[in-house]
Amino acid sequence: MTPTGSDARESVVTPVAGEDAPGVYACRSDEIQPGERVIRELNGRSVGIFNVDGHYYALRNRCPHEGGALCHGPVTGTTLASTDHRFVYGMAGRILRCAWHGWEFEIATGRCLADPRLRAKTYPVVVADGAIYVLM
Amino acid sequence: MIIDCDVHNSWSSSRELLGYLEPYWRDVLERGELPGGRDSFPHAHRPWLHPEGFMRTDAVPAGGGTPGSDYELMRAQLLDRYDVEYAILGGDEGIEVSTLANPHLASALARAANDWMVQEWMGRDPRLKGSIVVAPQDPSGAAEEIRRLGEHPDMVQVIVSSGSQRPYGDPVYWPIWEAAAEMELPVAAHLGGQGGVNANPTGTGPPSFFWEAHALLCETGMGHVASLIAQGVFEKWPGLRFVLIECGVAWLPAILWRLDADWKALRKETPWLDRLPSDVAREHIRLTTQPLEQPKDVRHLWSALEAIDGERTLLFATDYPHWDFDDPERVRIPPAWRERVLRENARELYRLPQSAAEAAAPETQRSSA
Repeated sequence: MTPTGSDARESVVTPVAGEDAPGVYACRSDEIQPGERVIRELNGRSVGIFNVDGHYYALRNRCPHEGGALCHGPVTGTTLASTDHRFVYGMAGRILRCAWHGWEFEIATGRCLADPRLRAKTYPVVVADGAIYVLM
Repeated sequence: MIIDCDVHNSWSSSRELLGYLEPYWRDVLERGELPGGRDSFPHAHRPWLHPEGFMRTDAVPAGGGTPGSDYELMRAQLLDRYDVEYAILGGDEGIEVSTLANPHLASALARAANDWMVQEWMGRDPRLKGSIVVAPQDPSGAAEEIRRLGEHPDMVQVIVSSGSQRPYGDPVYWPIWEAAAEMELPVAAHLGGQGGVNANPTGTGPPSFFWEAHALLCETGMGHVASLIAQGVFEKWPGLRFVLIECGVAWLPAILWRLDADWKALRKETPWLDRLPSDVAREHIRLTTQPLEQPKDVRHLWSALEAIDGERTLLFATDYPHWDFDDPERVRIPPAWRERVLRENARELYRLPQSAAEAAAPETQRSSA
């Protein structure tokens, strides 16, 4: 299974002195180790910021299925689509399962694995000078 | 405000029951074999293991422990969050006593679970009401337990698992119905107990996968509905109400259509039944909504539910803190039914007084539930 849609991986910018912050400040980048996440209240919205293999992604903490606490769920891998009854485990560390009903979402794109028309809301992320900003 | 008819309060370890067990059974729990290690509850597990665990992963208490074991978290995530007027607690593993071969052990564990419920949960918050769990494979012991606790003001129903050795209308279970009728308590069958001595959770033999099995376990509900009606349980005890919890709802109209048609032809088999099965069901059977079926077009669900007078027969439930939780703010109930389904049907069934908070709520807020 290959990811479809745009990958919302963060961009790294060097801030210019005196310039406004590139987005809403979320946390320091070293607060989130690979495989981990923080959940922050940003602009009145609960947002999860995830570190997947050193890259940062932001998703709204609200599942598009039933409004559950998406970002409180476990980060896992899953079985990849296969045609011959084999179990191929993959996408390790790249899947977020909603804390309520366990629906699977690709962290990088917000795409729901069972229903590609369904997407979790993602936000672009900017890392600047060791700080993580979310563009909302 | 809502009344939530399926909430799971849990122990984190079965050892919490030690102080509520009689000496011999305490010794058994302390020193005997347990199915899942030291803290596990004696029961035969269903043969389908949930590949992600069974709980909402955001419902684990901060200090550790089983989801549903921490009242403060339940209050934050459910009672306060959704403005719950009453939550009907069903315990969690307690109903699994029905899977045990030893009826004496099963009833001893049920008694301990009930005393734990009363001591640890009732009286803690006026919104909490409890269920009396009984071991159906010990009908006389179950009846005794219903009479022991039936007058407790906070224990509002009897509960058993939907998995059973025989369908619940069978005369072997009549001591349970008799006691419940005497104590004026509804009897609920909650999805579960699909293992051990309850060997027939589905008619074809066991499905293979958890999601496959979970979708099919409404079959037990079908069997109990047909049996209770056909055996004339509600004719014998006209005050009785039966509640199916978490067994699905959209299948019921089709089953009742079939029962009606067959009864018309062969009513002579059950001469005690002098009216349509669907009429009996409307009066005596209630179903909790969660997990409410989710067709693409909600009108298809609603037209099915109209056929069972869903406005009066459905009881809203979340199933907190389990993985298939339904959110009252998003559940697809026809707007005109919401006040009855989300609150008033349960109030009538369990004879719950209007709470002080509900009485104080403005009329507009109440009708929007």
